[in-house]
Formats: sequence, structure tokens, C-alpha cells
Amino acid sequence: MLNLDPIWLPAVQQIHFRQLLDAMARPGKCHLLDSVPGDGPVVLSLLATLLDADVTLADPYNLLRPGDWSMLQVKSCPTERADYVLCDARQLPEFLPKLGTLPCPDQSATLILIVSQLGQGEMSLKLSGPGIADTVKLQVKGLDQQWLSNREVWVRAFPLGVDLILIDDKQVAALPRTTRVEIL
Amino acid sequence: MTDRTTWVSALNMLPTDELLSLTAQLSCNWTVRPMSVPQAGLGMLKMNDSAFDEPFYLGEFPIASAWIEVQTNNGMTAEGAAQVMDDRVEIAEALALCDAVLANQLPGWERVTQLLEKGLSMREDVRLERKQMLAATHVDFSLLDDVGDEHAES
Repeated sequence: MLNLDPIWLPAVQQIHFRQLLDAMARPGKCHLLDSVPGDGPVVLSLLATLLDADVTLADPYNLLRPGDWSMLQVKSCPTERADYVLCDARQLPEFLPKLGTLPCPDQSATLILIVSQLGQGEMSLKLSGPGIADTVKLQVKGLDQQWLSNREVWVRAFPLGVDLILIDDKQVAALPRTTRVEIL
Repeated sequence: MTDRTTWVSALNMLPTDELLSLTAQLSCNWTVRPMSVPQAGLGMLKMNDSAFDEPFYLGEFPIASAWIEVQTNNGMTAEGAAQVMDDRVEIAEALALCDAVLANQLPGWERVTQLLEKGLSMREDVRLERKQMLAATHVDFSLLDDVGDEHAES
């Protein structure tokens, strides 16, 4: 009776999860999302894969529609305590996310930044570190530089820090806390 | 009409084909949109033991749930939901649709009401049958008191 958008189906979520794992393992590499929602923001594809009733989400930039919350079945939370924070990358970051603790560095936030474009744009990033053979370049459009400055502070006390997932209207890339980022 | 909390239980007594056939007919020209992802899985029955008051899982049971929004072809909008002990999502979806139809008297609600009354009647029959079985196995423990007194005297 009900026709569910494919992003809510386990088979598609498995594919997206695999793509996210690969994005984290190979920082800066852009992955084309297998499926985007027929109705709603593209980031829903990612959120449908990552979120459930056991984690918390903050949406300080009001990027989600009211109906999206009930579909995601995720709890809302203040930004400073959220497991996931949905961000507009064009706007300035105005919060301090969870950075984890030494016994539990995994209890930190994952920031999902919606950018205008991945693989193209005026900002050129040189990435190095685990998962990158030497260096790799990532072009981005619609990412305020302050995000990268703040990130540098947040990941300074490794293993504490945050992981970033960048998403545009069809691709996803990741910047885990271990990646060194230089703006060219 | 009976309390809304009894509808799902009563409608779930009906043969599956009858329920699914009716909901398919009702919704053929409607837009049915999920408000949350319909799911079927297992629920764990958690209890506390009487000795140490520690939690343990008595067992598991199948559960399916659905929450939907219905828009009819004449522009009426309504929400319905159902949680049922079953492992089939389509049953939960059908019951949620019936819940929406009955609560908001959407077109076809009279047919659903007839099914509801049939389900309530079936449920009452089951209740009476169980009551009879319990009565037939009832043990009169008061006779043991007489036996205990006799031993004390001797």
C-alpha cells in the first residue's frame, strides 16, 4: 500500500553506508550518492542511513522540514550535546560541538556540512594523512573558511575532535579528524 | 462507536484477506503517505525478577507499526496509526488506514465500522471461551485448609 522513497529502504541504506565508510577511509574522495529523495533535501539520503532512535541530531540552521523528524525517528538535542549536527556550510559556525573524552573519543559529534558543490569551486583544499597516499586535492564551493579554522582547533587534541561529512546535491565526501587540511 | 483504543485489536481479529481487500478498495484513489517508516521487528518483554528485582527478558514478540497520513480524492486529510503483534508491515499499514478512516469518518467509514463490529464480536467470543476454560480448570484450595487442621490435631 505504501510507496516508500528508496532512501528509506534497507538495501539503499546499505549502499549509502558502504559509500560513507569508503569516504571516511579515503578522505577527500567524492562519492556519487546511489539514491536521492524524490521529495525533500538531498541530505535526507545520508541522514536516513546514519540516524535512528538511539542517536541525537541538532539542526541549528533549520534545514529539515517538520515531517522529516518523524521519518528519521531521531531525537532532537542542543547542538553542544548532539551526536550529529546538520550545518549550512555557507554560514558561520556558532557552536562548540561534542569533542569526546579521552576514555571515549568516539562520543563526539559528526558534522554534516551542506556545501554548494564538491569537486568544483573556488576553494581548493590539500589533504594529507591516513587514507591518502601522498596528498589529494578537493575543490569545494560554498564552504565558509571559518569551518576549517574551527575544525583545526577542534581536532588539535587528537583523539578528541569531530569528523566532517561534506555533501552537495548528489555527492558526499568526508574529512575525518585525522586528515590534515591546508587551504591553497 | 467504541473507544479508539480498541479498534486495532478488534480489526486484527478479522481474516487478513478481508482486511487487506477492504483497505485496498478504499485507498485506490487516495494518497497515503508515511509519517514514519513502517517497521516490523521483535519487541523484548522485559520484567524484573521477584527475588532481586533485577531485569531480565522473559521473551520476545513480533510487533509491526505504521503511522500514515491519508489524503482522499475529495481533499480530506487524516492521520492514522497502528501497532500490532504481527510480523507483517502490510497488516499494520492496513490497520493504520482503518484507524484514519474511522477517526475522521472518511469515505467508506461505514464499511469499516461493520468490520469493526464484526471484530469486536469475535473478540468477545474469544474472551468468553477463555473465561469458560479458566473456570473449568479452577482449583478450590480451601479444601487443603481442612487437611492441614487434621494433621495439627494428631
